Amino acid sequence: MNLALRLRPFVLPALLLILWQLAAMQAAPADRMPVPADVLATGWTLIASGELPLALLQSLQRVMLGFATSAALALVLGTAMAAYRPVGRNLDPIIESFRPIAPIALLPLAILWFGTGTPAAAFIVGYAAFFPMIVNTIHGVRSIDPGLIRAARTLGVGRLTILRTVVLPGALPNLFVGARLALGVAWTSIIAAELAVGAKAGGGASGGIGQMMFVFYAYSVDLSGIIVCMIGVGVVALLIDRGVRALEYWMIPWKR
Amino acid sequence: MEALDQAAPKIRLDGISKEYIVPRTGQRTLAIADVSLDIVQGEFLCIVGPSGCGKSTILNMIAGLAEPSAGTVAMDGAPIRAPGSERGVVFQDYALFPWKTVRENIEFGPRFRSDARLGAAERDKLVRHYIDLVSLTGAEHKYPHELSGGMRQRCAFARALANEPEVLLMDEPFAALDAQTRLILQEELLRIWGEDLPRAERKTVIFITHGIDEAVFLADRVAVMSNHPGRIKTVMDIDLPRPRRESLRATSEFQTLADEIWQLIRREAYEATIDRR
Ligand SMILES: Nc1ncnc2c1ncn2[C@@H]1O[C@H](COP(=O)(O)OP(=O)(O)O)[C@@H](O)[C@H]1O
Ligand SMILES: [Mg+2]
Repeated sequence: MNLALRLRPFVLPALLLILWQLAAMQAAPADRMPVPADVLATGWTLIASGELPLALLQSLQRVMLGFATSAALALVLGTAMAAYRPVGRNLDPIIESFRPIAPIALLPLAILWFGTGTPAAAFIVGYAAFFPMIVNTIHGVRSIDPGLIRAARTLGVGRLTILRTVVLPGALPNLFVGARLALGVAWTSIIAAELAVGAKAGGGASGGIGQMMFVFYAYSVDLSGIIVCMIGVGVVALLIDRGVRALEYWMIPWKR
Repeated sequence: MEALDQAAPKIRLDGISKEYIVPRTGQRTLAIADVSLDIVQGEFLCIVGPSGCGKSTILNMIAGLAEPSAGTVAMDGAPIRAPGSERGVVFQDYALFPWKTVRENIEFGPRFRSDARLGAAERDKLVRHYIDLVSLTGAEHKYPHELSGGMRQRCAFARALANEPEVLLMDEPFAALDAQTRLILQEELLRIWGEDLPRAERKTVIFITHGIDEAVFLADRVAVMSNHPGRIKTVMDIDLPRPRRESLRATSEFQTLADEIWQLIRREAYEATIDRR
């Protein structure tokens, strides 16, 4: 009984997998339709050889590098824009006019400037992560109750200390919203960036999960490999989000 | 009253006015006009008056959060230009930091103020003292949202006290509480203020309320304000003996004083009810 209940969430996915397997076995030509059994086998090989974890790890490093740099910049700029009107008034139009430009549209520039390695990919990622981060920083700082800042001032606390002890914790919930969105788009754009950088670099060793997909697509035409990469990307995205949420839960104890 | 008027004032309001200009419309409101008042060391002054007569405006200027459009506000003879730890404020909505526990809220001033910060050990002693003083023992590690209204008020009071200010400014601190809690906290406030201490050792308190009974129960003097623009109409001495206890409220002296103040602001209060649209 207990076991049946626990297995219930897996029934529908399992049925769909079986259906997929059956449909794929009917379809011809076979190399245009990935088969679950093959995907499973390829997945196992790629994990066992360490190729898949390595590729994911390399992409993750680029995402973290791009995200950390751009989040730090967005935090400083966003706080300045929200706290000092003239700064906000002058920077807002500039930021808003860049925002509609898709990260991928910067690829040609990125490759020209940084080549086909980590810096180019991290640049694209950082650009993508910047906007959700700065928008939420500005919103977070602006939405702090001015009464709390007045209270801190009447306690004789200086402006810089208020920034650290009132503004930062007050904006923290919104900063986490920004971080989750930013990491989401960062992870999305690393794939695109590596795919494109990979195309430019050919089969060369620029690495990362995006490039792995490109190689499967362009050289070995390995559909199962591509599907395995897609699943890997999804799993990592989920883990990143869970990680940020856990950090948020731990860092914002007053909202529990 | 021991030599109240000979002493040099702790706080002096000298001909202050405040005009607000709404940036959007450019509309000007004269919130208060030509207010002069001396408050001496150790005095408990209450300010009463109808809503919108400028009570908070006056308090904010003494706190250093706002500047008068004309006139000067001075403490110990020096003009007030900015907030400072020698003037503590208890706000009507308490303004407790939601991300800090009771304990962390109370130690905020001694820990983060720009001058004379305390080390962890000293702070610990100080904070424990004030937590006990306001009867929050056992609630130290709760967050503000986990407290009742009365406990939040105690916490805000302790936060202001722990910074050991010379002047305590309180803006309708009990207005959001139920009637019983308010009566209890009034007596506690007097106890903590130190009714039996000599005047020189007491804190100077400026307490805004629109409860007339509350003002008479607490104050050495009550400043009664009128509206449009805000002015001080009268300052009444409250010559009731201290320490004051609950039973005082039933005496005829208490009732007479409360009634006198009520007669003074009655007309204004009435007009305020028809002015509200
Ligand atoms: N920041 C402000 N901008 C414009 N008008 C204000 C501002 N603050 C207060 N006022 C006006 O000044 C008057 C006095 O306000 P306040 O000092 O808050 O009164 P009280 O505390 O006695 O209720 C009111 O008419 C109010 O509308
Ligand atoms: Mg007010």
